[in-house]
Amino acid sequence: MGEKPLDMSADRLYALTPRPVCVGGVDNQPMADTVSQPPLFDYEAALRACARGERSALQQLYEQESPRLLGVVQRIVRDVALAEDIVHDAFIRIWNKAGTYDQARGSARGWIFSLTRHLALNAVRNNARHVQMEPDEVGDMEHAAIDGWQEQTDAFDWRVNPGRIEACLEQLEPVRRNCVFHAYVDGYSHQEIAHRLGAPLGTVKAWIRRSLTALRECIG
Amino acid sequence: MNNEPKDPNEALHELAGEYVIGTLSAEDREAVEKRLAVEPELQAAVDYWEARLLHLTDLVEPQMPSPRLWNRIERSLDETSRQAAPVVPARPNSWWESLSLWRGFAAAGMAATLVLGALLLTRLSPEPSPTWLVVLATPQDLSPGWVMQASNRTREIELIPLGVTELPPDKALQLWTKAEGWQAPVSLGLVKPGEPIRIRLDDLPPLQPNQLFELTLEQPTGSPTGLPTGPIQFIGRAAKVI
Repeated sequence: MGEKPLDMSADRLYALTPRPVCVGGVDNQPMADTVSQPPLFDYEAALRACARGERSALQQLYEQESPRLLGVVQRIVRDVALAEDIVHDAFIRIWNKAGTYDQARGSARGWIFSLTRHLALNAVRNNARHVQMEPDEVGDMEHAAIDGWQEQTDAFDWRVNPGRIEACLEQLEPVRRNCVFHAYVDGYSHQEIAHRLGAPLGTVKAWIRRSLTALRECIG
Repeated sequence: MNNEPKDPNEALHELAGEYVIGTLSAEDREAVEKRLAVEPELQAAVDYWEARLLHLTDLVEPQMPSPRLWNRIERSLDETSRQAAPVVPARPNSWWESLSLWRGFAAAGMAATLVLGALLLTRLSPEPSPTWLVVLATPQDLSPGWVMQASNRTREIELIPLGVTELPPDKALQLWTKAEGWQAPVSLGLVKPGEPIRIRLDDLPPLQPNQLFELTLEQPTGSPTGLPTGPIQFIGRAAKVI
């Protein structure tokens, strides 16, 4: 297996997740996810029940979030069967580790998504480790198709569900914004983003570093 | 805030941010995950980014899992706890909150100090000194039965027996841990009496001061419910070694 195939159709507008309309618009709350969290489902209670050994709670959680979790994972690993394997592993882990969830460290929904996303990221990065590119290949990539990225437009239709993070993303140049999205949403490595945008590897690394710093200054 | 020259935590936040957005290599991810266990500041920075960026998962279209996936999950759960999980016995205000037990442990602390001192002095190996130590003692007469040490580098705990424990036939010792803020204890697996064992702490949050460790008597395959069900054989709290 070679490098994870790059999705060359990534310039299309991504369909947005249908989810409950959020009132309140730009929120003042520190936790960005409280805005997007579908109401009525009590994630904290579900994890508490899992920790007590109530399997019905895990099933409710599965019914509530498995399509979104599978979407997130599949986007990163780009393989339907592998994505289902990872969601399987994620729910086993949620079940076993529910007792370690600590409210002080963040939302329960965030805990579930982070746990699952990192399983997917570990899967693609560990796979890449086994088929690591030779240094000269990376060099070739750096010189590939440099022109064009300066005129980058948004590859992601990200403004529809505004929250704090979106307000801050607005302040980044589109090309840097795309780096953040390609990393977080597509699970691309630095090299893959460089390849995707046709920009030098070092430039991409610097863009991402600076984007993170800018986001943090904006979000506070 | 905008006028601040340079945030001293910037490097930490950069690393945490790159970890969360996912651009780190496998090696770097592994290194971060190891450090998370012992660096609360890094963990806090990761938590920060996880919470802020979570919203971006909305950009992805949901995918319906195949109808078989939930069955597969259930089968895997059944395999790990062979017996159908019965209703978890109601144990309101369980022993975690028992004041008399913890009073007793104040006394056990004395014994523990002696054991720790002896252990540290007799360890001549050039290994890095452990960051955490736990003495697990019997709840009845508070005699120490096991010593546990956790290294900040290896993400491992090492459990060392101080004697041989007699077990009833068809019973096993299961190791559990619970930190403050956790909803329930988490199993670290089965332990053979009289045998030292190393256990990886892969998915656990960083060890915390006063984190509880205990060994309970369970069925040979482990607790059927995923929570301690049998009597406590040994118990102790984590102390940081300076």
